[in-house]
Amino acid sequence: MLDLLPRLRRFAAGLAGNPADGDDLCQMSLERALANRSKWQEGTRLDSWMYRIMRNIWIDEGRAGSRRRQTFVDEEAGVGQGGDGAQEAAVELSYVDRAMQKLPSDQREAVLLVMVEGYAYKEAAEIVGCPVGTLNSRLVRGRDALMAMLGEAQ
Amino acid sequence: MTLTREELAAFADGELTGERAAQIAAAVAADPALAGEVEAHRALRAQLADHYAPVATAPVPDRLTALLAQPQEAEVVNFAEAKERRAARRTIPRWGWIVGPALAASLALAVLLPGSGDDGAPYADPQLAGVLDTRLVAEQAPGADTRILLSFRAQGGDVCRVFSGEGGGGIACRDQQGWRLEALGEGSAGASTEYRMAGASEAALLSRAQDMAQGPALDAAAEAEAKANDWR
Repeated sequence: MLDLLPRLRRFAAGLAGNPADGDDLCQMSLERALANRSKWQEGTRLDSWMYRIMRNIWIDEGRAGSRRRQTFVDEEAGVGQGGDGAQEAAVELSYVDRAMQKLPSDQREAVLLVMVEGYAYKEAAEIVGCPVGTLNSRLVRGRDALMAMLGEAQ
Repeated sequence: MTLTREELAAFADGELTGERAAQIAAAVAADPALAGEVEAHRALRAQLADHYAPVATAPVPDRLTALLAQPQEAEVVNFAEAKERRAARRTIPRWGWIVGPALAASLALAVLLPGSGDDGAPYADPQLAGVLDTRLVAEQAPGADTRILLSFRAQGGDVCRVFSGEGGGGIACRDQQGWRLEALGEGSAGASTEYRMAGASEAALLSRAQDMAQGPALDAAAEAEAKANDWR
């Protein structure tokens, strides 16, 4: 589990949008995993199980209407035009971060799992709990949206 | 050949094998537009991997590793179960759990000298007796010379208290005459930290106390009750 932590942090940072919120997500995931450790079946992949837990928490948090993770600045407000000066200074988001934040959650997790975490489509689909074909199409849509946004930015 | 964009992405990600992969590879090689799309896909993949790499190579914050460093506690998923387990431990007459807190506190008293009784067993002198009479383990202030380590009820029914200090340490049991000194050990060096360790003589005293006791050491409530009852 300790060996997995750096990768889990990376995935969490990608989902949550920045490393600080990512670590909060990571902590929640670890706590849930430890509390449910008996449900992990020996012989199955621990990493997939952890990713699934993390992704479920992230989805749940989003459904709960929590916007506290949404630390990026809206395009309409302009870059670096947050209402809160301290927050603006604390959260420096790159083009990539902002583009990722604009992706729908299903596309964002597909992109992260395949393009950053390096999972095969089948493994990523199992983590997300969708058919491989669905994962594939989400990935393409997310990829196209990212390319368009990053193309504009450059 | 019809080639969906999904399939092309799968090809670029190395998801395809065999004949289909070979077909697409040939099509990509023959079509600059397809080749460009595969190239863009891989470039984005590389860009994202680079972008998120620092998080994975940075040191993991302590608060996360700490969660994993305590598997025993983390395993506790049910507060009721944990409570039961603690209660079960409490019934086992072991000293450690109460000696620990007792050792963490110390009592302000300069020197204690066990007074000698006229016939045989010595009794605590008035100064020590005053401490034994009044001080509760839980109320001791840190940074002083003499401490009450713990209290217990001996097999004969007497309340006894283990004390330790620069001037001497021992076990005193309350009887009709006063605090009878049952055991005397060397006083341990004065301690100034809250985390002092039990010296060898204290360990010997505690071991002796354990032999004398008829149950676990008195907890704070039981000790207070014993005090209210004049240690009888």
